[in-house]
Amino acid sequence: MKKLMYYLMLSCKKATELIEKRTLVKLSFKEKVQLRMHKSMCDACTAYEMQSGKIDELLHKHIHNVSVDNAATLNNEALKETIINNIPNN
Amino acid sequence: MDISKPATTVTCWVDLYSDKMYTWALHKTSSIEIAEDLVQETFLAAFQSIRKFEGKSEPQTWLFAILNNKIAEHFRKQFRNPAITESQSDTSIFDTLFDANDQWLKEQRPKQWQDEQTNLLDDAAFIKILQACMGKLPGNWMAAVRLKYLEEKKGELICQELGITPTNFWQILHRAKLQLRKCLEVNWFTP
Repeated sequence: MKKLMYYLMLSCKKATELIEKRTLVKLSFKEKVQLRMHKSMCDACTAYEMQSGKIDELLHKHIHNVSVDNAATLNNEALKETIINNIPNN
Repeated sequence: MDISKPATTVTCWVDLYSDKMYTWALHKTSSIEIAEDLVQETFLAAFQSIRKFEGKSEPQTWLFAILNNKIAEHFRKQFRNPAITESQSDTSIFDTLFDANDQWLKEQRPKQWQDEQTNLLDDAAFIKILQACMGKLPGNWMAAVRLKYLEEKKGELICQELGITPTNFWQILHRAKLQLRKCLEVNWFTP
């Protein structure tokens, strides 16, 4: 039993790593069990997981927020001119 | 549209779409200089390959496809930049958060955040802090974060394009997330 516990024990650093890893790739069965066990005993990593998810959601929305049509379009006349002047044969 | 006169066509597109494209690129890269460069490169690429554009799609759709490729390419380059790859192995963030046994330092243990606000992204003050915290990440950590959210791709695919192993990629994202979380907590969310 002790051996099994040792096998399944994760540090908080490793647990947070698995929390991030999971957003990119599937965890192995062992990793899933390790993470679930760890969270059941660790409030800090449970809070971390929620906050990490919240940050993911915020970043995702923030980066995709400006859709092409509803953005408050900025004007850049100087840029326009530079581009037009750099088009060959113009 | 008359593609027999590419210069005229592209000039017309610049008038119609360059502001929108610039706004978009600026939002994605947070840099005026880079956004201007990328839009410029996009129109040059469009001019050079205008024969491939057969009017099958809207010009705007085509131009934004080129621009989005340029933006992703920019972050891939930034990620690989040897001048900043040192930070790839920078593990000092761990020492500020974890003890010698890799458990949370007592004062660093995450606690519930008190945030009642549901539409944080409508709050200009929060956006400012979010951007500042992103800006504090080492260059290629930020590139990794941007690529993760920018490209709706599987992790493996992003790694292939970057020429790194998935392990390397999520380890960078792990450190970036730890730092970002801490920065947001200190500046916005009070436990």
